[in-house]
Amino acid sequence: MSGSVLRVDRLRVAYDHPLGPVRAVDELSFSLRPRERFGLAGESGSGKSTMALAILRMIKPPGRIEGGAVWLDDIALSGLADDEMRRLRLAAIAMVPQGSMNSLNPVARIRQQISDALADHGERLSKRDAETRIRTLLAQVGLPPEIADRYPHELSGGMKQRACIAIAICLRPKVIIADEPTSALDVVVQRQVMETLGHVQAELGAAVILIGHDIGLMAQFVDRLGIMYAGRLVEVAPIRDIITAPRHPYTRMLIESLPSLERKGELRGIPGLAPVLRELPSGCAFHPRCPKAQARCRTEKPAVRAIGEDASVACHFA
Amino acid sequence: MTLLLELRSVSKHFTGGMLGRDRKVALEPLSFAVDPALPGITAVVGESGSGKTTLARLLLGLIEPTEGEVRYRGRPLPTLSGAERREFRREVQAIFQDPYEVYNPFYRVDHVLTTPVRKFRLAVTQTEARRLVEEALRVVGLRPEEILGRYPHQLSGGQRQRIMVARALLLQPRLIVADEPVSMVDASLRATILGSLRKLNEELGISILYITHDLATAYQVADTILVLYRASVVEAGDVELVVKAPRHPYTQLLISAIPRVSTVRDWGAEDPKSQDGPPAYGCKFADRCPVAMPQCLAAVPALYRASPRHGAACFRLSEWPVLPPEDIGEVLMPARRPGSRIVATTPA
Repeated sequence: MSGSVLRVDRLRVAYDHPLGPVRAVDELSFSLRPRERFGLAGESGSGKSTMALAILRMIKPPGRIEGGAVWLDDIALSGLADDEMRRLRLAAIAMVPQGSMNSLNPVARIRQQISDALADHGERLSKRDAETRIRTLLAQVGLPPEIADRYPHELSGGMKQRACIAIAICLRPKVIIADEPTSALDVVVQRQVMETLGHVQAELGAAVILIGHDIGLMAQFVDRLGIMYAGRLVEVAPIRDIITAPRHPYTRMLIESLPSLERKGELRGIPGLAPVLRELPSGCAFHPRCPKAQARCRTEKPAVRAIGEDASVACHFA
Repeated sequence: MTLLLELRSVSKHFTGGMLGRDRKVALEPLSFAVDPALPGITAVVGESGSGKTTLARLLLGLIEPTEGEVRYRGRPLPTLSGAERREFRREVQAIFQDPYEVYNPFYRVDHVLTTPVRKFRLAVTQTEARRLVEEALRVVGLRPEEILGRYPHQLSGGQRQRIMVARALLLQPRLIVADEPVSMVDASLRATILGSLRKLNEELGISILYITHDLATAYQVADTILVLYRASVVEAGDVELVVKAPRHPYTQLLISAIPRVSTVRDWGAEDPKSQDGPPAYGCKFADRCPVAMPQCLAAVPALYRASPRHGAACFRLSEWPVLPPEDIGEVLMPARRPGSRIVATTPA
């Protein structure tokens, strides 16, 4: 499809295991439009983070990319040499990692960490230019300039996460992948950090992939949402549609399981457990937990069916 | 009739630095009681550093208060005899946040269940012990044959956390202090765990203190709620009143910051003012408060009782009667709510 900034095409990732490979991402496809905010939600182990790492070609053994392709504009990332890919990370696709506290270098000042990122990608700046650049970046994420002199342990969780965003945008990437960027933060701070991410995205004109499990956060932030289950994208739809009329039974149950502040006593869990990837159920992986499962679901794996331009679902009965 | 557990003007300071000069207040004086005759679920809500875990640790006797005292069945904790302490350890159970760290990876999960049975001599025979363990697992919606004999890494976080609930249950406690029991568990499994807690309260009459930063689950599970901010109680009362009609600006901020599953994008409009840290004196929320007045920096607001079951520490409510700290329990009495129920689902 034309007009997409990033296109993931039938991507497969497996982890090798003595008992045979385990497929963590299974024939996954989606495309990201310029400036789009795309959400990827699912339970732990559904393959969200593996997916993000696979886009960046950062899967480490025993994991490996088995097949499929990732296109950035018209560059096939799988065809790039390792050092070409390395230059492209951060410059074209940047990642805001999950635990900011663990991803910043504890013994380097924030200034150092930003200028390292710039230098590492061949940006040769004079001392003064670098300083101006760092100030601008910090201002973009709502941090005062003196933060440059601080060490990570001197910052609060929200400030650290903003510093990570500053590093992620320092080379004006086209795609920002944010992997649960606020999962360790309090709600008030979470709102501030997401607002910051929204601002810088608009300023840069970048597209964002937001990975997470908080559907409320998705509802308030993304344009389109993909729901992952056992390594597959079981549903993709514009956020408004997915909230008001989810097609896949898993999506519907996931939304219903969320505690509401409006109505009391409507808390429902999803029966059963997320499947173990090594012993994936036959047919549709969700069938043992699905209230609508039929005989066909036990034997036949549902194909991903496109619904119009920007939605799809993988269910025999949706 | 004696109270099960009582905090009497309990406060906790941590000292650090040279000669202990840096004093950090972890909990301002708080009085609070758990009455076994009126078992309810009270949620303690606040952001990190608000003092919620300090409160839990004080109640469990894991740390000693700086001032005030914690009493178990009328006796101050430090004066309990060996037998009484043992009884305290049985009647007051804890469930912690991390369902990974509480297990020893080298033991089968049976170990965490059989140890209390042995230590508290709950069963005479092996068969009886086995029966008790299996029964406790079934109450929390687990199938014993799928759980027993496994190692922790073979179970999911949700299963492990429910085993911890089962372990607490084995001892037939009167109070369970659950400190963020679902924050590390997937959304689809949270409901099931919270449902088991609700069931223990309703069917077995166990009081529960549910400590969390998540106001939405607190609303779903609890009867009453206590909102902490920087070591002080800012709002307390019936959960329905506090969540639906919050009176303290902090509680209002907290509720507005929750991203809702809705097609209405009403999130992220107003940002709180600069966070310079709490003022030297007065209301601790004054630096972030959108409606702060000069008097907020001049005096510490008392809790005002805006309704019989609702109090908040804000000067805007000063026309209401003051709720003395020792009477905070009055607004936290559980009132049975009709018709509300969590549908807990058991594994398929």
